[in-house]
Amino acid sequence: MTRILGIETSCDETAAAVVDDGREVLSSVVSSQIDLHARFGGVVPEIASRAHVELLNPVVAEALVEAGTELDGIDAVAACHGPGLAGALLVGVSAAKAIALVADVPYIGVNHLEGHLHAAWLEQPDLQVPAAVLIVSGGHTMVVAMDDLDQYRVLGQTVDDAAGEAFDKVARFLGLGYPGGPAIDRLAATGDPTAIAFPRPMRDEAFDFSFSGLKTAVVNHVRHNPDAEVRDVAASFQEAVVDVLVGKLVAAADACHAKTMIIGGGVGANTRLRTRILDAATDTGREAMLPSPALCTDNAAMIAATAYRRLLSDGPGDLGGGADPNLRLPGR
Amino acid sequence: MQLLGIDTSTSRVSVAIGGDGDLLGEVALGTPTPRHAEQLAPAIRYLCDETGVELRQLAAIAVGVGPGLFTGLRVGVTTAKVMAQGLRIPVVCVPSLDLVAYPLRYTQRLVAAVLDARRHEVYYALYLPVPGGVQRVSGYEIGSPDDLVGELEARGDEVLIAGEGALRSREQFASLDRAELAGTGFAWPRAAALLELASARYEREEFCSPSDVQPMYLRKSDAEIESERSTGEERVS
Repeated sequence: MTRILGIETSCDETAAAVVDDGREVLSSVVSSQIDLHARFGGVVPEIASRAHVELLNPVVAEALVEAGTELDGIDAVAACHGPGLAGALLVGVSAAKAIALVADVPYIGVNHLEGHLHAAWLEQPDLQVPAAVLIVSGGHTMVVAMDDLDQYRVLGQTVDDAAGEAFDKVARFLGLGYPGGPAIDRLAATGDPTAIAFPRPMRDEAFDFSFSGLKTAVVNHVRHNPDAEVRDVAASFQEAVVDVLVGKLVAAADACHAKTMIIGGGVGANTRLRTRILDAATDTGREAMLPSPALCTDNAAMIAATAYRRLLSDGPGDLGGGADPNLRLPGR
Repeated sequence: MQLLGIDTSTSRVSVAIGGDGDLLGEVALGTPTPRHAEQLAPAIRYLCDETGVELRQLAAIAVGVGPGLFTGLRVGVTTAKVMAQGLRIPVVCVPSLDLVAYPLRYTQRLVAAVLDARRHEVYYALYLPVPGGVQRVSGYEIGSPDDLVGELEARGDEVLIAGEGALRSREQFASLDRAELAGTGFAWPRAAALLELASARYEREEFCSPSDVQPMYLRKSDAEIESERSTGEERVS
């Protein structure tokens, strides 16, 4: 049995988790900084980094207590080393290395995106490959083909804003507050998604995404129609985003002959997106795996689970490793 | 009693192990581009291996808490507080400016410790030598080199200026009459000085719980500064 302590500090969540054999989650603690960033309408990197320094000790301690283990019982320690905010990543990497020194166990640096790819397996270990994965959050929007757990390639990604970023910006423009995803999700449920025909950006061009034009379209529409119902604007905007996301995911699934469609990332908690992916799976005779919202958003269980795979395939990582804010997945 | 000392408040990484008045080993690393996160943990492991000190023997971890470069500072402070929590030992926090001033305690002059704060500003503090150490006679300040020059001119004391922040702005300090700039050997906060200061504080139980350790930033984030500026303006208008 291999017990791994994972740490995640790539953006505005300070998280730690203990996972056995990359499968059994003994604890997963996430301390969100949403309140610290709310008044700025987005994540402020310097504030995030400072908060990580404050929150890490209690979060790690809680993860160990909840798991009923001590550092002596840990076999390896992992941290997300990219992609993400440079200063924030370095706090988690430093913490993980500090534990590696104290507990005298290997340190493993983990790619955040790889973590999102593996999150679904924590809840459903018998998922079938090939799988098409949509990773969609405030920082990323991409479709990935997974031929096997350790074999994947990026098929396409956003060329400008991430989908979550578009949600935040539109919510801010509509005066719905921060974070924008949950705010629009809630309001859209009461609006008419067909009220306004917003553009479906880059829906037909391979697997890449673009959301900055859609955001502009929303702004222009509201300026020209000041009396537009905000809930209809929210619902129509959300529908346009979801249309594109689901369209690309299904196209990716077709391209890699996927048996399964998987979602990951914070926007994966969006209720409309989840419903539409389930529908698309039924329509195309595939299985859909929608991890619980807690596993879609940033967490450290996915980091520990991925570290287990890395440990098996690559062995211990390098105590001299740093962080890479622009770390990528293989593929394009 | 053994302590591990860490300072990463400048572009350098400095680590030392020792205690009871004895320095067992010290590693100081500098690269053109700071690589604190890469260098610190291997440096600690190297020191332990070479000195034969096991981490479990440590009585406390001492850390230079700044002020200094934010990212580097966080690497050292996080490493210190997470290690200390794991080892269940306390942390002794010492401002990094004190580490620049302390090795100059044998001078008879006023000592100005100066570290780089970027954006044409410096962190600084003033010290007077006293038996066995230095006594700080100013706050921990942030300002332009010219602010400090003005302050020193007003005091009129003979002064020894030390620290990489001063060496970077040596032209500004050249105008001062009764001032001397200490050389590069005194430019960086050293973990050896940290251990000396921290040993005494540890004996006096001047330490804190690992989770309470925070860097001394002295400067807010840009977003906060900007936000306060705009609310301030609103209030005026």
